[in-house]
Amino acid sequence: MNRSLTFEHELAAMLPRLRRFAHTLSRNGSDADDLTQAAIERALRSKAQWQPGTRLDSWLFRIMRNLWIDTVRSRSRKERFETPAEELEQLGEDPRGAIEASLELQRVMAAMERLPDEQREVVALILIEGFGYRETAEMLDLPIGTVSSRLVRGRTALLELVGM
Amino acid sequence: MVTDETFFAWLDGELDPQEADRVAAEVAADPDLAERARQHRGMQSRLKGPFDSLLEAPVPEPLLAAVRNPEPEIIDFAAAQRSRETRRWTPLPQWAAVAATLAVGIFVGTMVPHRSNAPVEVQDGKVYAAAALDHALNTQLASTPGGDVRIGLTFRDQRGAICRSFTQTAASGLACRDNGRWQVRGLFAAPEGQAAPYRMAGGMDPILAAMVEAAVAGEPLDANQERAAQANGWR
Repeated sequence: MNRSLTFEHELAAMLPRLRRFAHTLSRNGSDADDLTQAAIERALRSKAQWQPGTRLDSWLFRIMRNLWIDTVRSRSRKERFETPAEELEQLGEDPRGAIEASLELQRVMAAMERLPDEQREVVALILIEGFGYRETAEMLDLPIGTVSSRLVRGRTALLELVGM
Repeated sequence: MVTDETFFAWLDGELDPQEADRVAAEVAADPDLAERARQHRGMQSRLKGPFDSLLEAPVPEPLLAAVRNPEPEIIDFAAAQRSRETRRWTPLPQWAAVAATLAVGIFVGTMVPHRSNAPVEVQDGKVYAAAALDHALNTQLASTPGGDVRIGLTFRDQRGAICRSFTQTAASGLACRDNGRWQVRGLFAAPEGQAAPYRMAGGMDPILAAMVEAAVAGEPLDANQERAAQANGWR
């Protein structure tokens, strides 16, 4: 089968998971869909670099995570710490579908947003996306011990933030 | 004694069976640890559930469209030339080649009524420029103010043939020399309600741009080289 068609087919099948991962990283639903769109575009441009037979999901998640890091780094820390209250108000006005705008989702997104970036990505990949420690370490280019200790700190903070 | 890392690795199913059994036994024997395991499992399911709802939610149309209709990068030839040393030409995406074929088929179908002034004609299964288009490709330079036909880039393709991109009324395309004639390699209709010249003001049709990028060998000809190629009969 035509490799290109296969790639785009598999990419389309990955969209729900890509959206979920984008929501775990992003401040709100529209940022998440912007991130998803950017990841799709980059994946299509660099599809020659993906090796068939290797996992497409890890490759796509890595692309998305790198795009997210670029965005986060270009945003000033000041802005990030001063805007949350305002963003929470905007979330209530999100005109998109009921599911995305659900209060539960807003609540967990706000909780994830409180984590430092390096804990958030580890929590997202392991506790929400279900990757193993080793796969996560490879995706993030980190030693497995670092992944494991960031996960301990992230999930301990979340115990307070989302409840037990 | 179980460290935090080991406790959570056990909770996440990351331990080998032997060690997992050992930690499970410790947790079973220690009410505090058991309570902690319960709390963390509860937290994970409260955290994950709302995110999982996205797996069932309809994917927004713009994201589906981004996968179905990827937009090739629009080529800025000036920038491409500046970075030529470091940049490799990316191959034409396969879908674009397919799209190009279809565009020729569909558009030519509507464009080749048997009239003597049709801009293209089919000979031996190949589509060639005819009439005003053929004349413009032969005689016009990029700098010539266009009538119906305007010439864009002139370049040599990887087989050494001269190619020229053009715009004609509601379409743009690419033609290359083949046996002393201009073979039309791609012809793209402007989107509905948009005449090609209007659109070309903002840059080349992206599919055409991708086609040019895939075909071009070296750099497009400058005005002097274009004139010289014309004097040489576009060989």
